[in-house]
Amino acid sequence: MTRAARILLVDDEVSIQRAVGPLLQSRGYEVEIAGTGRDALRIATERRPELIVLDLGLPDIEGTEVCRLIRSESTVPIIVLSARGAEADKVSALDLGADDYVTKPFNPEELLARIRVALRRVFSAEDGEVGRVQCGDLEIDYDRHRVMRADEEIRLTPKEFDLLSLLARNPDRVLTHRAILKAVWGPNAVDQPEHLWVLVGQLRKKLELDPSNPRYLISEPWVGYRLATTPPGTR
Amino acid sequence: MDTPSRSRRAATSDVLHALGSLAAVAAVTVAYTRWLHVGNTTTVALSFLLIVLVAAATSHLWVAALASIVAMISLNFFFLPPVGTLTIVDPQNWVALLSFIAVSLVASNLSSTARARRDEALSRRDEVARLFDLSRDILLLTDSDEAFAPLANLVARRFALDYVGICLPQAGGWRVAEAGSLMLTLDRDQLAPAMAVADGHQTVDAGGHAVELVPLRFGTRAVGLLAVAGRAVEAGTLDALGGIAAIAVERAQFLEERKAAELSRRSEELKSALLASIAHDLRTPLTAIRVAATNLQASWPNDEERREQSALVVAEVERLNRLFQNILEMARIDAGSIGTDLRWVYPSEIVEAAREQVGRALDRHTFAADVESDRLVRVDPRLTASALAHVIENAAHYTPPGRPVEVDAVVAADRLTLSVRDRGPGVPAQDLPHIFERFYRGSAATVRVSGTGMGLSIARGLLAAEHGSISAENCPDGGARFTIVVPAETRAAAAVEQDT
Repeated sequence: MTRAARILLVDDEVSIQRAVGPLLQSRGYEVEIAGTGRDALRIATERRPELIVLDLGLPDIEGTEVCRLIRSESTVPIIVLSARGAEADKVSALDLGADDYVTKPFNPEELLARIRVALRRVFSAEDGEVGRVQCGDLEIDYDRHRVMRADEEIRLTPKEFDLLSLLARNPDRVLTHRAILKAVWGPNAVDQPEHLWVLVGQLRKKLELDPSNPRYLISEPWVGYRLATTPPGTR
Repeated sequence: MDTPSRSRRAATSDVLHALGSLAAVAAVTVAYTRWLHVGNTTTVALSFLLIVLVAAATSHLWVAALASIVAMISLNFFFLPPVGTLTIVDPQNWVALLSFIAVSLVASNLSSTARARRDEALSRRDEVARLFDLSRDILLLTDSDEAFAPLANLVARRFALDYVGICLPQAGGWRVAEAGSLMLTLDRDQLAPAMAVADGHQTVDAGGHAVELVPLRFGTRAVGLLAVAGRAVEAGTLDALGGIAAIAVERAQFLEERKAAELSRRSEELKSALLASIAHDLRTPLTAIRVAATNLQASWPNDEERREQSALVVAEVERLNRLFQNILEMARIDAGSIGTDLRWVYPSEIVEAAREQVGRALDRHTFAADVESDRLVRVDPRLTASALAHVIENAAHYTPPGRPVEVDAVVAADRLTLSVRDRGPGVPAQDLPHIFERFYRGSAATVRVSGTGMGLSIARGLLAAEHGSISAENCPDGGARFTIVVPAETRAAAAVEQDT
């Protein structure tokens, strides 16, 4: 990466723009600001930001619609800002192609961490697909369908491996229940979340040192799951 | 049609029948003696018997008996020897007389039974029709809470009763809905035992009137009592009436419950609208404050950036405070706990206080006040200014930056009129009736306004506490005008100077 990543901040509240804008600049990002969905779409096309932080409550266009329109043109990571309790909006934004979300009022460090994760993914994807991935103590070997923890193999069923590798290919990124069900079981299973609960339970028993207090397989209530590359406390 | 006129008509018809049968006897007598010269007493007797039979079949017993006697006398006098006297020589004549009487008795008995059956059937049909009409009326009753009084009215009207009472047991007494021309006081102590009666009705005395008490049964459960007085109604009909009234009572109670459920649902909706609105309006300043505070802690900002971030914190705290004030004011309006404190003030003080309260929301607009200054008004300055502030803030929200918001105050003999003129898009016609409702925001708003949807409704609530009112209209040359009218004593400034 030769220049600072350019981030487009979309929020109609001037106070949020004035607080978050300088915060992002202070971390060396180049910041573009849009107050409406229309401006956001225009800037996204003209300025080609590396990442978009998008508030879902926009005055002119529904945030989820902005999300869909941007995604139809590019693969730029989108981090959605949304209200607590508006889980349905989050899920539909994620299903429409958003990469992650942060709930308002958010901890600035959390937003920055999510931005770093999303940007890392952009640049690592440019490096090409890797055959094995390290996630904390876990080492996932896609080619040989094997998962190791501290040189000890953890035996997984094919479905468990599918789920783990799906999450590991999107490290630290929340995947919606629907997206996981569709990827692991196929489109007919999207309305059967019980499959997922059972499988996550099995996988946690095998992966987690303390399955009731998971460190890798993190549940995002009502939204989905993410695979944490760093322990939750350190984020 | 009521009973006395019907019996009067029956009596008239009996008299006509009697006269007719007498005329028939006379006609036969005249015809046989003058023109036909029929001498055979058997033929005469048979002719008279026919007349008696017809009279008995079509009318009451007394008509038939009268016809028999007249026929017998006529037979005796004109036909039986010795003709011209009423002497009965031949005992056969007694037989003829007795035959007439017997025929008339039997025939009239038969016919009156048939008539009674027919009358009964007619009255049944009549009552079934009434029951049908009543049940249709009941189904059309939509009002729930007050349904019992109309129900009693319907029963009284449909059944032509002088008194109808629908008595429902309630905690600690009876709820009685009454109708009809007769004023009765039911003895409440008699009601409870009557409801316990498993079968049939009870007749009780109330102020000299016999009142029938019919249990209202819904299935096997008695839900109340129907009390009727006036016209005699058949027992079977009363039972059916009780059944229909019971259904009506159940239906009314069901409607009442549904209405209560509806009300609580609406209040729940209002609460969640409140929560959604407040949640959104709290979240934005909280987020901004949190991020700005973190920025202030960090080492990167220079002095200029620090000033900007702290100004942001102050502005957002002010915004939170305003929201908090709004919520408090709304709660006080809802609780009805807004007291008024009337004082003599200059209208300009109210306008200035309102301008002060609006604060930075007007920063990007020009504010022009045209205030009549030589008269004093006696109002609650705090409430009035606060209401005016909400209206000004609303105007500022909808007016594009740089354009004016104008306020003028006019004092009339008995009122203070404050009007706020904005240069915004105006209020769409379909929104005008609703803009003072809580959480209502314009339906076609293209620009989202960061208001709480509470301001105008709070303004209305505050003004209502001092009997004031607020209205909105669109100006022909664009923008909206909100007018506040507060009834108040007013006087010239000099008068107060003397007072103090």
